[in-house]
Amino acid sequence: MNLILAQTDPRLNFWNGTNDSVGLWAKIIIAFVLGVLLIAALTRVPPQFRRVIVTTATFIAGFFYIALWLWPEPIGKKPGTLPNGAVEWVGFNISDAVSVVGDFYNILATMLLGLGVFSVLRIHLRKFVKKQQDWGFSAVLLAGIVAMVFFGYANYLTKFGPDAAKLADQANWGFVNYGQNLLFDGMLQQMDAAMFSIIAFYILSAAYRAFRIRSVEATILLATALIVILSLMGLAASIWGMPVDALSPHVTLNGQSVPDPGSFTQNFRLENIAKWLTDALQTSSLRGIDFGVGIGTLAMGMRLWLSLEKGGVSQ
Amino acid sequence: MADVPAKSLGEKLQSINRSTLFLILILCTSVPLFFPVKLPNRADAPSMDLYQKLMTLPEGSTVLVQSDWTNSTRGESGGQFNALMRILMRRHIKACIYTAADPQAPEVARNAIAELNKQQDAAHLPEYKEWDDWVHLGFFPSAEGTSVSIGTDVRKAFAGKKATQPNGTQADVFESPVLKNIHAVRDFPLMILITASNTSNVAIERLYGKVPLAMMVTGVMGPETQVYYDSHQLVGLSKGLKGVYDIENMMQDGAKIAGQTFPPFTGPGVINKDLGTRYYPTLHMALLLLIVAVVVGNVGMFLSRKRSTQ
Repeated sequence: MNLILAQTDPRLNFWNGTNDSVGLWAKIIIAFVLGVLLIAALTRVPPQFRRVIVTTATFIAGFFYIALWLWPEPIGKKPGTLPNGAVEWVGFNISDAVSVVGDFYNILATMLLGLGVFSVLRIHLRKFVKKQQDWGFSAVLLAGIVAMVFFGYANYLTKFGPDAAKLADQANWGFVNYGQNLLFDGMLQQMDAAMFSIIAFYILSAAYRAFRIRSVEATILLATALIVILSLMGLAASIWGMPVDALSPHVTLNGQSVPDPGSFTQNFRLENIAKWLTDALQTSSLRGIDFGVGIGTLAMGMRLWLSLEKGGVSQ
Repeated sequence: MADVPAKSLGEKLQSINRSTLFLILILCTSVPLFFPVKLPNRADAPSMDLYQKLMTLPEGSTVLVQSDWTNSTRGESGGQFNALMRILMRRHIKACIYTAADPQAPEVARNAIAELNKQQDAAHLPEYKEWDDWVHLGFFPSAEGTSVSIGTDVRKAFAGKKATQPNGTQADVFESPVLKNIHAVRDFPLMILITASNTSNVAIERLYGKVPLAMMVTGVMGPETQVYYDSHQLVGLSKGLKGVYDIENMMQDGAKIAGQTFPPFTGPGVINKDLGTRYYPTLHMALLLLIVAVVVGNVGMFLSRKRSTQ
């Protein structure tokens, strides 16, 4: 068990290999071919057996993390340490398996990203080839994907190649470096920022049109929002604090007379009122919501783990 | 053709054209960018705790940085990342950076460090060097699985990751000065998460108790993250642009926190004020405009109601 799960103790075993060695490349190719064959085989499984496969895989995956959570954690385990008894043996193996399962998790998440790209390509290639409505947008999207992949990967190779250090100076950049810079920094990142900044326009428009004091609740909401917003504005907080400081008893600190920070009147500084609102009201409300969400997530998690949830492949 | 009755003041106030509102917003947020002013500010407690923690980290130690931001939140997250990196490089603290939220984030973080190094070069100050001072382990698509792995065995979680050495060749990250003394997650004196996404909850769920946690989050995430600061699950917290401005001011003016005095970062070419200082007046104007818009809308509603009851 330890041989299978522990990847780095010893560092080289059946499941890994020396970087760039023929053996490692052979293992990668064999694993890839086996993976493709496995996926192809799974797609040909009769529908009545699919549920069994999905529910079993889901149960095992969930059970692992439940075991990790509940089983006593080995303390002070070092490479080469032998387990003392059955309980510790199980704990050692669960601990060893965590990174392997985490890697599986990462590989699955990466495959989902790949699946998303495949889906986008399939839809837009079909649209483009059949000249369906708005096929021009599909052409732009496809060209964008191809260009980004090409320049991104070519740039990656130069950045991690032998001349990587020289690329710190822009004078040494080549075509692919300029291409990646234009596409990633010049376009994608700027469009990303522009898309997000549009929210400000909608917030302003919504606040102007919808935020009306029509009830006591709305009035309380508006008043608290106003205090919190003003507390974020250093200038507003400073102006508000002037009369409060003037009314506060003063103490001498480093030869200077300053308002006593512990005095009762200091509670009425804008930032202190906002702090009270956040700490006393907002935090407790959010904790209540979090507890509710947590219980809901637990119930949903149990349903998914035990495949009681209707719909999907498990139905 | 019947005469259209003239709009009352109340109706007018309630029906300002959307384009006009947008134009005012563009002006209010753009103009302050050209007039940098120092605004009065009192750093809030979570920012001060974060600064104190950063300033008391042992020199030469390595912090774990989860950089989950992209340029969509550059104003806040970019300012936070820059301030963090400046403090780390000036205090000779190393950074092990990774991403668990967005495939774009590693490149964004690398670019931000490259930009900071350009400023260092221009001021004839030492660079924050890859391999010697920082490594980026790349993108891990599963935040849950990766966080659990890091908490259980950081050496296995990051096994096989490579970084570029100064001679241009790649080597295992655990051979780098950044990670050579790291054997478990508790060897990091601090983990800092810069995020604009839900990965903050994952970090709390999976890593709390295993490594001291601090977070730098966007303003929108501030309230939900404050919960973890109040429960002492976070040793420090920077929230939104105000949080960036707090940190930059403490770097510029020094700070006295819980009896400890931290002198300002000074010297020829030393830059402390950056995005937080540049955008804080803009935030003021945007928030002021928001308040004015709400007030105008409500005044219009009251005037209209008054008129209809008359």
